[in-house]
Amino acid sequence: MLHRRIYQFLMIYFIGFAGLMLVKYSLNLSDYVIPGFSEIGMACRRYFWLYLLAVLNTLAVAILGHLLSICMATLVGIIGRLTIWIGSFIRVAAYNIQAYPIVAVAPIIFILLGDGLSSRLLIAAMICYFPLLLSIIGILSEPVAEIEHFFESTRRMNWQLQVKIRAFENMHKLMTVIVGSATLAMVGTIVAEFIAANAGIGYSIRIALYQSDLAKILVALFLIGICTSIYLVFLEWLGMEIKKRIGSV
Amino acid sequence: MQRQLFDHFGLPVMGLILILILAGCTPEAEKPLEEVSYRLKWLYNISVVGDLYALDSGLFKKQGLAVNVKPGGPEKDAIKELELGHAQFGVASADQVIRAVSKGSPIVVIAQLFQTNPLHWIYRPDKIPLKTPQDLKGKTIGITHGGNDETIMRALLAKYGIQENEVTLFSVRYDYTPFYQGKVDLWPLYRNAQAPIIGAKLIKAGERFDLMDPSKMGIRFVANSVVTTRKMLEDRRETVQRFIKALLEGWREALDPANTEKAIALLLKYNKETPEDIVRQQLPATRILMMPSAKFRFGAIDVAAWQQTEEIMLAQKLIPVSVYVEKLLKPMNNK
Amino acid sequence: MQLELKDINYTYPGSARNVFRQLSCQVTAPGFHALFGPSGVGKTTLAKMISGSITAFSGAVRTDQMTHVLYTYNLERLPGWHSVQDHLTQITPPPKHSRMEELVDSFGLEPCLNSRFAQLSLGQQNRTNLTRYLLQDFDLLIMDESLANVDEITKEKIILKIKALYPDRCFLYISHNVVEVAKFCKQILVLRSYHKNPQAVSLQGQDFNGRQPIAEKDLEQCMLEIVNAA
Repeated sequence: MLHRRIYQFLMIYFIGFAGLMLVKYSLNLSDYVIPGFSEIGMACRRYFWLYLLAVLNTLAVAILGHLLSICMATLVGIIGRLTIWIGSFIRVAAYNIQAYPIVAVAPIIFILLGDGLSSRLLIAAMICYFPLLLSIIGILSEPVAEIEHFFESTRRMNWQLQVKIRAFENMHKLMTVIVGSATLAMVGTIVAEFIAANAGIGYSIRIALYQSDLAKILVALFLIGICTSIYLVFLEWLGMEIKKRIGSV
Repeated sequence: MQRQLFDHFGLPVMGLILILILAGCTPEAEKPLEEVSYRLKWLYNISVVGDLYALDSGLFKKQGLAVNVKPGGPEKDAIKELELGHAQFGVASADQVIRAVSKGSPIVVIAQLFQTNPLHWIYRPDKIPLKTPQDLKGKTIGITHGGNDETIMRALLAKYGIQENEVTLFSVRYDYTPFYQGKVDLWPLYRNAQAPIIGAKLIKAGERFDLMDPSKMGIRFVANSVVTTRKMLEDRRETVQRFIKALLEGWREALDPANTEKAIALLLKYNKETPEDIVRQQLPATRILMMPSAKFRFGAIDVAAWQQTEEIMLAQKLIPVSVYVEKLLKPMNNK
Repeated sequence: MQLELKDINYTYPGSARNVFRQLSCQVTAPGFHALFGPSGVGKTTLAKMISGSITAFSGAVRTDQMTHVLYTYNLERLPGWHSVQDHLTQITPPPKHSRMEELVDSFGLEPCLNSRFAQLSLGQQNRTNLTRYLLQDFDLLIMDESLANVDEITKEKIILKIKALYPDRCFLYISHNVVEVAKFCKQILVLRSYHKNPQAVSLQGQDFNGRQPIAEKDLEQCMLEIVNAA
């Protein structure tokens, strides 16, 4: 699975890269507009490890934010399934809040929380939280009547069992949403760093942009792609393990 | 028969002849304007007032040009657009120009807009009296990592032998809260565009402010200049001349105290978000930075400042080797 | 022990069509009874009214001396994280564990115990589901096509076992199979379209218990009555 993901990413990356080079050499553009091979090679040698650390830093925040979102969405999803009113209220609120572009909300967050870890974490969580929440509320408030009926009619049903049944029955959907939102968490963290943080790959990209240095950005994109792919593979593996583990309890 | 023919075709034919004669008589204004695009460095604000003035007063048109003045922004890069052919003229900062040329970009500088870099540092003189550069020691100084202000500040510290560990460099963004709260002593800003706004807030809070000008401390790092491609200059020199003539005239008129009201009204037309009283303060501040004296020939290129800018960038390893910056400077303001 | 339905009127939510109009019927004694009728006549709806999962209707459902009413249907599933054995053990009250073993043996579930529900055949799934209901406390168990996928021989074996083990309980067996309803059931409630009056007709079945044989003629007569009533 890991090989396939990495292989797919490398294919996409190098197709994009080849496209850039094609534009560069066909239009005879300078290295300032699109860097040449030697400059990219130099940027790679000089910044690879630095950027790798920055990407890992970003990934760590993204994972934390993602975890936070999953916990929050599960919690709110459980509350949201209690009554139709609460559920629909949370759903409408989530739709409204996620309609705000994060670049508009981020300055308020940075003013309130400063430009440290907490802001990065919050923005990462915010970006992946709402899609997760909507899916989890949807899943947890949809009865699995064929299984739940027995427990309801023999008065064995409690909320834990109900959540367990609905989560287990929709495990594939849940994992798809979680894996999908992991990418959003990564994007969210990078955006947050780009806007205001003092660390992470988003911050490095901003500096590179200040210096119009596309070579550095290409190195950063490569590392972001690789690390995100690895994280996604890990999540997919985790999903299968959880399903197996729950299945064997 | 002939009469019949005249009755049938005579009137329309005569009408047509009349139209052709009249068209032949119309003045040369009917000659199509030459279209060019001009990418600004930033959004419509006080730093582009002259560009807008040239456009709005018909100065470009008078030179036979239809100029598409496009606002800039944080992710817009005029030099890249020149190379890609999306624009024929643009505004770029000196460091951008030097960096681009060091990477083989075929661009030249045809006019320098700011004679003094508008990037200054605001501070509270009551809290930190800055008499000499040595007074910077022990202070917390705001810089944008990767930005011009970082380069300028590092050059300043190097020039006066201040080690980096003798000051605290604080990474800044658009949020001024750390400065308002006093966590940061000196905060970078654009003297003409931002200082009137931030200064007004400090005054409202009962505080005094002052501005540290790096050029007064010997760091003359060039800011915005007008650029075009070498090919454009060679192949369409006459167009370049007409463009720069209209542009510089626009700037001169916009900064002429006699045209203050017109310039302010014009800017407010393009930028409705900035209050008029702020624009009134911004305009004279811009004039000081662009027109050091009334007799100054607007747009002149300060070769020594460009050379110093290049030296600073070389020293900070922002470019690997010299680009011989003087070769890029093609002043057109005396034509 | 009596189940009585009186003057039941019901319309599906959002529909103008009546399902029941002044429906009245009763089941008077313990035993294996049937609820029979053509598709769409409202058997499942009536079963849900009796078990209490549908309440928005007019009329009365009386379940005298029947405190535990359970309803089971053939599409039910067991949770996917348990094996059949684990699930049965978990949901069976300890005093009934020996009954569990007896049912597992009689219903031929031994080979299914270590499997997950999804791995079973449809017939095995029917039998497993029914087994767990039989292990609960109930006075009335409504079996809605609960053995729909079970072969005839096994089905007979299961019904006879249920009748033998639970003589004092009430069962309402919903089925479309005229033969099995006529053969095994004691009282047969034939549910008819709401146009017909009365909407429910009660008939006597052969109530075969496996010990005394039933006359072919009587069975045929009973089947004829059922078909005519429907």
